[in-house]
Amino acid sequence: MEEIRKEIKKIEESALRLKSLAPENNSIVKNASIILVFVYLLKFATAMWEE
Amino acid sequence: MNKYWNSYTETLPREELDRIEFKYFKNILSYAKNHSNLYKEKLKGIEVEDIKTVEDIKKVPFTYKEELRKWQEDVDPFPYGGILGVPIEEVSTFRQTSGTTGRPVYVPESYESWQWRIESWCHILWMAGFRPRHRIFLPFGYNVYVAFWEAHYAAEKIGCEVVPGGALDTKGRVNKIIELKANAMAGTPTYLLNIAKEAMEMGIDPKSLGIERALGAGEPLPEATRLRIEGLYGCKMFDHIGSTETCGFAGMCEEQKGLHIVEPFFLVEMLDRETLSREVDVGEQGVIVITPLGRKSFPVIRFNTNDVAVKGPDNCPCGRTSKKMMEIVGRVDDIRKIRGVLFSPKTVEQLIRSEFPEIVEYEIVVTRQDIMDEITLRIEVDPSLSEEQAASIAKRLAEGHKIKTNLTCKVKIEPAGTLPRYDLKAKRFKDLRGGH
Ligand SMILES: [Zn+2]
Repeated sequence: MEEIRKEIKKIEESALRLKSLAPENNSIVKNASIILVFVYLLKFATAMWEE
Repeated sequence: MNKYWNSYTETLPREELDRIEFKYFKNILSYAKNHSNLYKEKLKGIEVEDIKTVEDIKKVPFTYKEELRKWQEDVDPFPYGGILGVPIEEVSTFRQTSGTTGRPVYVPESYESWQWRIESWCHILWMAGFRPRHRIFLPFGYNVYVAFWEAHYAAEKIGCEVVPGGALDTKGRVNKIIELKANAMAGTPTYLLNIAKEAMEMGIDPKSLGIERALGAGEPLPEATRLRIEGLYGCKMFDHIGSTETCGFAGMCEEQKGLHIVEPFFLVEMLDRETLSREVDVGEQGVIVITPLGRKSFPVIRFNTNDVAVKGPDNCPCGRTSKKMMEIVGRVDDIRKIRGVLFSPKTVEQLIRSEFPEIVEYEIVVTRQDIMDEITLRIEVDPSLSEEQAASIAKRLAEGHKIKTNLTCKVKIEPAGTLPRYDLKAKRFKDLRGGH
Protein backbone atom coordinates (compact mmCIF):
# COMPACT_ATOMS: atom_id res chain seq x y z
CA MET A 1 0.00 0.00 0.00
CA GLU A 2 2.89 2.38 0.71
CA GLU A 3 4.06 2.18 -2.87
CA ILE A 4 0.55 2.94 -4.12
CA ARG A 5 0.28 5.93 -1.80
CA LYS A 6 3.61 7.27 -3.04
CA GLU A 7 2.34 7.05 -6.60
CA ILE A 8 -0.85 8.93 -5.67
CA LYS A 9 1.28 11.64 -4.10
CA LYS A 10 3.25 11.90 -7.35
CA ILE A 11 0.09 12.33 -9.40
CA GLU A 12 -1.04 15.04 -7.00
CA GLU A 13 2.22 16.93 -7.27
CA SER A 14 2.22 16.57 -11.02
CA ALA A 15 -1.37 17.87 -11.38
CA LEU A 16 -0.61 20.84 -9.15
CA ARG A 17 2.46 21.58 -11.23
CA LEU A 18 0.42 21.37 -14.44
CA LYS A 19 -1.94 23.98 -13.07
CA SER A 20 0.87 26.33 -12.17
CA LEU A 21 2.56 25.87 -15.56
CA ALA A 22 -0.49 27.05 -17.52
CA PRO A 23 -2.60 29.26 -15.24
CA GLU A 24 -4.12 31.05 -18.25
CA ASN A 25 -5.20 27.89 -20.04
CA ASN A 26 -8.75 27.02 -18.94
CA SER A 27 -8.65 23.56 -20.39
CA ILE A 28 -5.38 22.57 -18.73
CA VAL A 29 -6.36 24.08 -15.38
CA LYS A 30 -9.79 22.40 -15.38
CA ASN A 31 -8.55 18.99 -16.43
CA ALA A 32 -5.73 19.10 -13.90
CA SER A 33 -8.28 20.09 -11.22
CA ILE A 34 -10.38 17.09 -12.19
CA ILE A 35 -7.32 14.88 -11.77
CA LEU A 36 -7.04 16.32 -8.25
CA VAL A 37 -10.64 15.35 -7.53
CA PHE A 38 -9.77 11.76 -8.39
CA VAL A 39 -6.58 12.03 -6.35
CA TYR A 40 -8.86 12.90 -3.43
CA LEU A 41 -10.86 9.73 -4.10
CA LEU A 42 -7.69 7.67 -4.42
CA LYS A 43 -6.68 8.96 -1.01
CA PHE A 44 -9.99 7.70 0.34
CA ALA A 45 -9.54 4.40 -1.46
CA THR A 46 -6.19 3.89 0.24
CA ALA A 47 -7.09 5.45 3.60
CA MET A 48 -4.35 7.99 3.12
CA TRP A 49 -4.40 11.31 4.86
CA GLU A 50 -2.21 14.23 5.60
CA GLU A 51 -1.20 14.41 9.24
CA MET B 1 -12.98 -9.98 -11.46
CA ASN B 2 -12.44 -9.19 -7.80
CA LYS B 3 -15.60 -9.52 -5.72
CA TYR B 4 -14.82 -6.30 -3.87
CA TRP B 5 -14.94 -2.81 -5.32
CA ASN B 6 -12.07 -1.92 -3.00
CA SER B 7 -10.34 -5.04 -1.72
CA TYR B 8 -8.23 -2.94 0.64
CA THR B 9 -10.77 -0.84 2.56
CA GLU B 10 -13.55 -3.44 2.48
CA THR B 11 -11.48 -6.01 4.35
CA LEU B 12 -9.58 -3.80 6.80
CA PRO B 13 -9.64 -5.05 10.41
CA ARG B 14 -12.31 -3.46 12.59
CA GLU B 15 -9.86 -1.54 14.79
CA GLU B 16 -8.20 -0.09 11.71
CA LEU B 17 -11.53 1.11 10.28
CA ASP B 18 -12.41 2.69 13.64
CA ARG B 19 -9.07 4.46 13.75
CA ILE B 20 -9.39 5.80 10.20
CA GLU B 21 -12.97 6.96 10.70
CA PHE B 22 -12.07 8.72 13.93
CA LYS B 23 -9.31 10.60 12.12
CA TYR B 24 -11.61 11.45 9.18
CA PHE B 25 -14.32 12.58 11.60
CA LYS B 26 -11.98 15.11 13.15
CA ASN B 27 -10.92 16.28 9.68
CA ILE B 28 -14.47 16.91 8.48
CA LEU B 29 -15.47 18.47 11.81
CA SER B 30 -12.62 20.91 11.51
CA TYR B 31 -13.51 21.54 7.87
CA ALA B 32 -17.18 22.21 8.66
CA LYS B 33 -16.28 24.55 11.50
CA ASN B 34 -14.05 26.57 9.20
CA HIS B 35 -16.13 26.59 6.03
CA SER B 36 -19.84 26.37 6.83
CA ASN B 37 -21.64 29.23 8.62
CA LEU B 38 -24.09 26.82 10.20
CA TYR B 39 -21.28 24.89 11.89
CA LYS B 40 -19.26 28.00 12.75
CA GLU B 41 -22.27 28.94 14.87
CA LYS B 42 -23.38 25.51 16.02
CA LEU B 43 -19.93 24.26 17.07
CA LYS B 44 -18.84 27.42 18.87
CA GLY B 45 -18.17 25.68 22.16
CA ILE B 46 -16.43 22.68 20.61
CA GLU B 47 -12.79 22.49 19.63
CA VAL B 48 -11.51 19.67 17.46
CA GLU B 49 -8.68 19.17 19.97
CA ASP B 50 -11.33 18.29 22.59
CA ILE B 51 -12.25 15.20 20.60
CA LYS B 52 -9.60 12.86 21.95
CA THR B 53 -11.39 9.51 21.92
CA VAL B 54 -14.22 7.88 19.98
CA GLU B 55 -16.43 8.46 23.03
CA ASP B 56 -15.82 12.23 22.72
CA ILE B 57 -17.64 12.23 19.37
CA LYS B 58 -20.83 12.22 21.45
CA LYS B 59 -19.98 15.74 22.65
CA VAL B 60 -20.73 16.99 19.14
CA PRO B 61 -24.43 17.89 18.84
CA PHE B 62 -26.69 16.15 16.31
CA THR B 63 -27.77 17.94 13.17
CA TYR B 64 -31.48 17.74 12.31
CA LYS B 65 -33.22 18.25 9.00
CA GLU B 66 -35.19 21.10 10.57
CA GLU B 67 -31.97 23.04 11.20
CA LEU B 68 -30.88 22.65 7.59
CA ARG B 69 -34.23 24.12 6.55
CA LYS B 70 -34.00 26.97 9.03
CA TRP B 71 -30.52 27.82 7.80
CA GLN B 72 -31.82 28.04 4.24
CA GLU B 73 -34.72 30.40 4.84
CA ASP B 74 -33.55 33.86 3.84
CA VAL B 75 -29.95 32.96 4.61
CA ASP B 76 -27.28 33.67 1.98
CA PRO B 77 -25.97 32.35 -0.28
CA PHE B 78 -29.22 31.54 -2.04
CA PRO B 79 -30.58 28.85 -2.09
CA TYR B 80 -28.23 26.77 0.09
CA GLY B 81 -27.81 29.06 3.09
CA GLY B 82 -25.57 28.36 6.07
CA ILE B 83 -24.74 24.71 5.41
CA LEU B 84 -22.80 25.38 2.20
CA GLY B 85 -19.20 24.28 2.72
CA VAL B 86 -17.51 25.47 -0.48
CA PRO B 87 -17.51 28.78 -2.38
CA ILE B 88 -20.78 28.91 -4.33
CA GLU B 89 -18.86 29.05 -7.63
CA GLU B 90 -17.72 25.50 -6.92
CA VAL B 91 -21.26 24.12 -6.79
CA SER B 92 -21.80 22.10 -9.95
CA THR B 93 -25.13 20.36 -9.32
CA PHE B 94 -28.36 21.23 -7.60
CA ARG B 95 -30.39 18.58 -5.76
CA GLN B 96 -33.28 18.86 -3.33
CA THR B 97 -35.23 16.69 -0.96
CA SER B 98 -38.81 15.79 -1.86
CA GLY B 99 -40.32 18.08 0.76
CA THR B 100 -42.83 15.46 1.94
CA THR B 101 -42.25 16.54 5.55
CA GLY B 102 -42.05 20.29 4.97
CA ARG B 103 -40.03 22.81 2.99
CA PRO B 104 -37.51 20.99 0.77
CA VAL B 105 -33.83 21.10 1.67
CA TYR B 106 -31.66 22.37 -1.19
CA VAL B 107 -28.48 20.39 -1.54
CA PRO B 108 -25.35 21.70 -3.27
CA GLU B 109 -22.86 19.28 -4.77
CA SER B 110 -19.44 20.42 -5.90
CA TYR B 111 -17.79 18.32 -8.59
CA GLU B 112 -15.55 16.81 -5.92
CA SER B 113 -18.37 16.05 -3.47
CA TRP B 114 -20.51 14.55 -6.20
CA GLN B 115 -17.68 12.29 -7.36
CA TRP B 116 -17.06 11.31 -3.74
CA ARG B 117 -20.70 10.38 -3.46
CA ILE B 118 -20.55 8.35 -6.67
CA GLU B 119 -17.46 6.49 -5.46
CA SER B 120 -19.37 5.47 -2.36
CA TRP B 121 -22.24 4.26 -4.55
CA CYS B 122 -19.86 2.19 -6.68
CA HIS B 123 -19.31 0.06 -3.56
CA ILE B 124 -23.09 -0.41 -3.26
CA LEU B 125 -23.57 -1.50 -6.88
CA TRP B 126 -20.50 -3.73 -6.96
CA MET B 127 -21.46 -5.38 -3.68
CA ALA B 128 -24.89 -6.14 -5.18
CA GLY B 129 -23.22 -7.91 -8.09
CA PHE B 130 -23.60 -5.27 -10.80
CA ARG B 131 -20.83 -5.70 -13.36
CA PRO B 132 -19.74 -4.30 -16.72
CA ARG B 133 -21.79 -7.00 -18.49
CA HIS B 134 -25.01 -5.38 -17.28
CA ARG B 135 -27.14 -3.14 -19.42
CA ILE B 136 -28.99 -1.34 -16.67
CA PHE B 137 -32.33 0.31 -17.29
CA LEU B 138 -33.18 3.22 -14.99
CA PRO B 139 -36.91 3.87 -15.00
CA PHE B 140 -37.23 7.22 -13.30
CA GLY B 141 -38.12 10.81 -14.09
CA TYR B 142 -34.71 12.50 -14.33
CA ASN B 143 -35.39 15.47 -12.10
CA VAL B 144 -34.17 17.59 -9.18
CA TYR B 145 -34.26 14.63 -6.79
CA VAL B 146 -31.11 12.68 -6.13
CA ALA B 147 -32.60 9.18 -6.29
CA PHE B 148 -31.09 7.33 -9.23
CA TRP B 149 -28.74 10.08 -10.37
CA GLU B 150 -26.30 8.36 -8.06
CA ALA B 151 -27.22 4.99 -9.57
CA HIS B 152 -26.81 6.44 -13.05
CA TYR B 153 -23.33 7.88 -12.53
CA ALA B 154 -22.09 4.99 -10.40
CA ALA B 155 -23.32 2.37 -12.86
CA GLU B 156 -21.50 4.25 -15.59
CA LYS B 157 -18.36 4.38 -13.46
CA ILE B 158 -18.26 0.67 -12.65
CA GLY B 159 -18.59 -0.05 -16.35
CA CYS B 160 -22.27 -0.95 -16.85
CA GLU B 161 -24.09 0.30 -19.90
CA VAL B 162 -26.70 2.73 -18.63
CA VAL B 163 -30.05 3.17 -20.37
CA PRO B 164 -31.79 6.31 -19.06
CA GLY B 165 -35.47 5.39 -18.84
CA GLY B 166 -36.93 8.84 -18.25
CA ALA B 167 -39.89 10.48 -20.00
CA LEU B 168 -41.69 7.22 -20.79
CA ASP B 169 -44.88 5.83 -19.35
CA THR B 170 -44.80 2.40 -17.73
CA LYS B 171 -45.84 0.62 -20.93
CA GLY B 172 -43.16 2.50 -22.85
CA ARG B 173 -40.61 1.37 -20.28
CA VAL B 174 -41.63 -2.27 -20.57
CA ASN B 175 -41.22 -1.98 -24.35
CA LYS B 176 -37.82 -0.31 -24.01
CA ILE B 177 -36.56 -3.07 -21.71
CA ILE B 178 -37.64 -5.64 -24.29
CA GLU B 179 -36.28 -3.66 -27.25
CA LEU B 180 -32.82 -3.24 -25.70
CA LYS B 181 -32.69 -6.57 -23.83
CA ALA B 182 -31.80 -4.71 -20.62
CA ASN B 183 -30.66 -7.23 -18.00
CA ALA B 184 -30.56 -5.07 -14.87
CA MET B 185 -32.64 -2.35 -13.24
CA ALA B 186 -32.73 0.02 -10.31
CA GLY B 187 -35.95 1.61 -9.15
CA THR B 188 -38.27 2.20 -6.25
CA PRO B 189 -39.66 -1.14 -5.08
CA THR B 190 -43.19 0.14 -5.70
CA TYR B 191 -42.36 1.08 -9.24
CA LEU B 192 -40.61 -2.20 -9.98
CA LEU B 193 -43.84 -3.90 -8.89
CA ASN B 194 -45.80 -1.57 -11.17
CA ILE B 195 -43.62 -2.41 -14.15
CA ALA B 196 -44.16 -6.13 -13.54
CA LYS B 197 -47.91 -5.55 -13.26
CA GLU B 198 -47.97 -3.50 -16.46
CA ALA B 199 -46.02 -6.23 -18.28
CA MET B 200 -48.56 -8.85 -17.13
CA GLU B 201 -51.41 -6.65 -18.33
CA MET B 202 -49.64 -6.50 -21.70
CA GLY B 203 -49.62 -10.31 -21.69
CA ILE B 204 -45.90 -10.49 -20.96
CA ASP B 205 -44.45 -12.62 -18.17
CA PRO B 206 -42.00 -10.31 -16.30
CA LYS B 207 -39.60 -13.27 -16.11
CA SER B 208 -39.26 -13.19 -19.88
CA LEU B 209 -37.87 -9.63 -19.71
CA GLY B 210 -34.51 -11.14 -18.77
CA ILE B 211 -33.79 -8.91 -15.75
CA GLU B 212 -31.03 -10.65 -13.76
CA ARG B 213 -30.51 -8.14 -11.01
CA ALA B 214 -32.30 -5.15 -9.54
CA LEU B 215 -31.57 -2.60 -6.88
CA GLY B 216 -34.15 -0.79 -4.77
CA ALA B 217 -33.82 2.92 -4.09
CA GLY B 218 -35.93 5.82 -2.90
CA GLU B 219 -38.08 3.94 -0.39
CA PRO B 220 -37.71 1.14 2.14
CA LEU B 221 -37.65 -2.45 0.89
CA PRO B 222 -39.27 -4.86 3.35
CA GLU B 223 -38.03 -8.43 2.96
CA ALA B 224 -41.43 -9.60 1.70
CA THR B 225 -41.41 -7.00 -1.08
CA ARG B 226 -37.84 -7.94 -1.98
CA LEU B 227 -38.82 -11.59 -2.32
CA ARG B 228 -41.92 -10.69 -4.28
CA ILE B 229 -39.88 -8.72 -6.83
CA GLU B 230 -37.41 -11.60 -7.08
CA GLY B 231 -40.31 -14.00 -7.69
CA LEU B 232 -41.99 -11.83 -10.31
CA TYR B 233 -38.90 -11.14 -12.41
CA GLY B 234 -36.94 -14.28 -11.56
CA CYS B 235 -34.09 -11.93 -10.62
CA LYS B 236 -31.92 -11.14 -7.61
CA MET B 237 -33.14 -8.05 -5.80
CA PHE B 238 -30.92 -5.93 -3.56
CA ASP B 239 -31.48 -3.07 -1.20
CA HIS B 240 -29.50 -0.01 -0.23
CA ILE B 241 -30.05 2.90 2.15
CA GLY B 242 -29.37 6.54 1.62
CA SER B 243 -30.95 9.94 1.33
CA THR B 244 -30.33 13.27 -0.31
CA GLU B 245 -28.72 14.69 2.82
CA THR B 246 -26.58 11.69 3.74
CA CYS B 247 -25.69 10.06 0.36
CA GLY B 248 -26.15 6.32 -0.18
CA PHE B 249 -24.32 4.86 2.82
CA ALA B 250 -25.14 1.15 3.02
CA GLY B 251 -25.80 -1.67 0.59
CA MET B 252 -26.66 -5.36 0.44
CA CYS B 253 -24.06 -7.98 -0.46
CA GLU B 254 -24.67 -11.34 -2.17
CA GLU B 255 -25.64 -12.87 1.18
CA GLN B 256 -28.78 -10.67 1.05
CA LYS B 257 -28.94 -10.44 4.81
CA GLY B 258 -28.76 -6.88 6.02
CA LEU B 259 -26.75 -3.99 4.65
CA HIS B 260 -23.05 -3.19 4.86
CA ILE B 261 -22.13 0.37 5.74
CA VAL B 262 -19.73 1.83 3.21
CA GLU B 263 -16.71 2.31 5.43
CA PRO B 264 -14.59 4.34 5.87
CA PHE B 265 -16.67 6.79 3.82
CA PHE B 266 -19.23 7.19 6.57
CA LEU B 267 -19.26 7.19 10.30
CA VAL B 268 -22.57 5.56 11.17
CA GLU B 269 -23.71 5.50 14.78
CA MET B 270 -26.68 3.42 15.91
CA LEU B 271 -27.92 4.87 19.17
CA ASP B 272 -30.50 3.71 21.68
CA ARG B 273 -33.90 5.33 21.16
CA GLU B 274 -34.38 6.50 24.73
CA THR B 275 -31.20 8.46 25.42
CA LEU B 276 -29.48 8.66 22.01
CA SER B 277 -26.20 8.23 23.82
CA ARG B 278 -25.39 4.52 23.79
CA GLU B 279 -24.28 2.50 20.76
CA VAL B 280 -26.76 -0.39 20.60
CA ASP B 281 -25.79 -4.08 20.62
CA VAL B 282 -26.16 -6.54 17.79
CA GLY B 283 -29.85 -7.39 17.35
CA GLU B 284 -31.03 -4.23 19.09
CA GLN B 285 -32.90 -1.32 17.48
CA GLY B 286 -31.02 1.94 17.12
CA VAL B 287 -31.53 5.39 15.62
CA ILE B 288 -29.20 5.95 12.68
CA VAL B 289 -26.88 8.95 12.95
CA ILE B 290 -24.56 9.63 10.01
CA THR B 291 -21.50 11.68 9.21
CA PRO B 292 -20.32 11.51 5.59
CA LEU B 293 -16.57 11.76 6.07
CA GLY B 294 -15.38 13.38 2.86
CA ARG B 295 -18.16 15.52 1.49
CA LYS B 296 -17.24 19.16 1.76
CA SER B 297 -19.96 20.99 -0.17
CA PHE B 298 -22.69 19.82 2.24
CA PRO B 299 -20.75 18.83 5.34
CA VAL B 300 -23.42 17.38 7.65
CA ILE B 301 -22.06 16.27 11.01
CA ARG B 302 -23.87 13.64 13.08
CA PHE B 303 -27.03 13.92 11.00
CA ASN B 304 -29.88 12.34 12.93
CA THR B 305 -31.94 10.53 10.29
CA ASN B 306 -34.74 9.58 12.71
CA ASP B 307 -34.66 6.17 11.03
CA VAL B 308 -34.62 3.13 13.25
CA ALA B 309 -32.82 -0.06 12.21
CA VAL B 310 -31.65 -3.23 13.86
CA LYS B 311 -27.91 -3.53 14.29
CA GLY B 312 -26.55 -6.42 12.24
CA PRO B 313 -23.99 -9.08 13.18
CA ASP B 314 -20.24 -8.82 12.59
CA ASN B 315 -18.32 -11.24 10.36
CA CYS B 316 -20.41 -11.45 7.21
CA PRO B 317 -19.55 -14.59 5.19
CA CYS B 318 -18.80 -12.30 2.22
CA GLY B 319 -15.60 -11.26 3.96
CA ARG B 320 -16.38 -7.57 4.30
CA THR B 321 -15.43 -6.23 7.70
CA SER B 322 -17.79 -3.25 7.71
CA LYS B 323 -20.59 -2.83 10.22
CA LYS B 324 -24.00 -4.07 9.15
CA MET B 325 -27.53 -2.96 9.76
CA MET B 326 -30.61 -5.03 9.13
CA GLU B 327 -33.60 -3.50 7.38
CA ILE B 328 -35.02 -0.21 8.59
CA VAL B 329 -37.76 -0.84 11.13
CA GLY B 330 -39.39 2.53 10.59
CA ARG B 331 -39.02 6.21 11.19
CA VAL B 332 -38.96 7.47 14.75
CA ASP B 333 -41.93 9.65 13.73
CA ASP B 334 -43.87 6.78 12.06
CA ILE B 335 -43.78 4.41 14.99
CA ARG B 336 -46.89 5.29 16.98
CA LYS B 337 -48.70 4.15 20.05
CA ILE B 338 -52.17 2.99 19.14
CA ARG B 339 -54.37 1.86 22.02
CA GLY B 340 -51.19 1.62 24.04
CA VAL B 341 -49.47 -0.73 21.57
CA LEU B 342 -46.42 0.28 19.49
CA PHE B 343 -47.42 0.15 15.84
CA SER B 344 -45.20 0.41 12.77
CA PRO B 345 -46.85 0.82 9.33
CA LYS B 346 -44.07 -1.33 7.92
CA THR B 347 -45.57 -4.41 9.57
CA VAL B 348 -48.71 -3.91 7.49
CA GLU B 349 -46.73 -3.43 4.29
CA GLN B 350 -44.81 -6.61 5.04
CA LEU B 351 -48.07 -8.51 5.59
CA ILE B 352 -49.75 -7.24 2.42
CA ARG B 353 -46.71 -7.77 0.19
CA SER B 354 -46.04 -11.28 1.45
CA GLU B 355 -49.53 -12.73 1.73
CA PHE B 356 -51.88 -10.64 -0.40
CA PRO B 357 -50.68 -10.31 -4.00
CA GLU B 358 -54.32 -9.54 -4.96
CA ILE B 359 -54.14 -6.20 -3.11
CA VAL B 360 -52.90 -3.66 -5.66
CA GLU B 361 -52.83 -0.58 -3.44
CA TYR B 362 -53.53 0.23 0.18
CA GLU B 363 -53.57 2.99 2.76
CA ILE B 364 -53.52 2.88 6.56
CA VAL B 365 -55.65 5.48 8.32
CA VAL B 366 -55.68 5.97 12.06
CA THR B 367 -58.51 8.00 13.59
CA ARG B 368 -59.89 8.60 17.06
CA GLN B 369 -63.55 7.97 17.87
CA ASP B 370 -64.27 9.51 21.29
CA ILE B 371 -61.33 8.06 23.19
CA MET B 372 -60.85 4.98 21.05
CA ASP B 373 -58.14 4.78 18.35
CA GLU B 374 -59.26 3.07 15.19
CA ILE B 375 -57.20 1.63 12.35
CA THR B 376 -58.74 1.41 8.90
CA LEU B 377 -56.99 -0.35 6.05
CA ARG B 378 -58.31 1.00 2.76
CA ILE B 379 -57.51 -1.47 0.02
CA GLU B 380 -57.96 -1.84 -3.71
CA VAL B 381 -58.03 -5.40 -4.96
CA ASP B 382 -57.40 -6.84 -8.40
CA PRO B 383 -60.45 -5.63 -10.41
CA SER B 384 -60.95 -9.05 -11.99
CA LEU B 385 -61.97 -10.53 -8.62
CA SER B 386 -65.61 -11.04 -7.65
CA GLU B 387 -67.23 -9.27 -4.70
CA GLU B 388 -67.16 -12.49 -2.67
CA GLN B 389 -63.46 -12.99 -3.35
CA ALA B 390 -62.74 -9.37 -2.36
CA ALA B 391 -64.72 -9.80 0.86
CA SER B 392 -62.80 -12.94 1.70
CA ILE B 393 -59.47 -11.11 1.19
CA ALA B 394 -60.67 -8.33 3.48
CA LYS B 395 -61.58 -10.85 6.16
CA ARG B 396 -58.22 -12.65 5.92
CA LEU B 397 -56.38 -9.31 6.01
CA ALA B 398 -58.15 -8.21 9.19
CA GLU B 399 -57.24 -11.54 10.84
CA GLY B 400 -53.63 -11.34 9.65
CA HIS B 401 -53.38 -7.77 10.94
CA LYS B 402 -54.60 -8.80 14.38
CA ILE B 403 -52.00 -11.59 14.55
CA LYS B 404 -49.09 -9.40 13.39
CA THR B 405 -49.83 -6.22 15.33
CA ASN B 406 -52.03 -7.28 18.25
CA LEU B 407 -54.48 -4.62 17.11
CA THR B 408 -57.86 -5.01 15.45
CA CYS B 409 -58.64 -3.01 12.34
CA LYS B 410 -61.42 -2.33 9.86
CA VAL B 411 -60.84 -3.17 6.22
CA LYS B 412 -62.56 -1.04 3.60
CA ILE B 413 -62.59 -2.12 -0.05
CA GLU B 414 -62.25 0.90 -2.34
CA PRO B 415 -63.19 1.07 -6.03
CA ALA B 416 -60.26 0.63 -8.47
CA GLY B 417 -58.19 3.79 -8.91
CA THR B 418 -59.41 5.55 -5.73
CA LEU B 419 -56.15 5.40 -3.77
CA PRO B 420 -53.11 7.48 -4.73
CA ARG B 421 -50.24 5.78 -6.62
CA TYR B 422 -46.61 6.57 -5.81
CA ASP B 423 -43.44 6.51 -7.89
CA LEU B 424 -41.30 7.93 -5.10
CA LYS B 425 -41.74 8.36 -1.34
CA ALA B 426 -45.00 6.56 -0.80
CA LYS B 427 -47.23 8.02 1.93
CA ARG B 428 -49.52 5.13 2.76
CA PHE B 429 -49.80 5.91 6.46
CA LYS B 430 -52.12 8.63 7.72
CA ASP B 431 -52.45 9.33 11.41
CA LEU B 432 -55.43 11.66 11.69
CA ARG B 433 -55.76 11.61 15.47
CA GLY B 434 -54.04 14.95 16.06
CA GLY B 435 -52.00 15.46 19.20
CA HIS B 436 -51.21 11.74 19.45
ZN1 LIG C 1 -21.60 -9.31 3.33
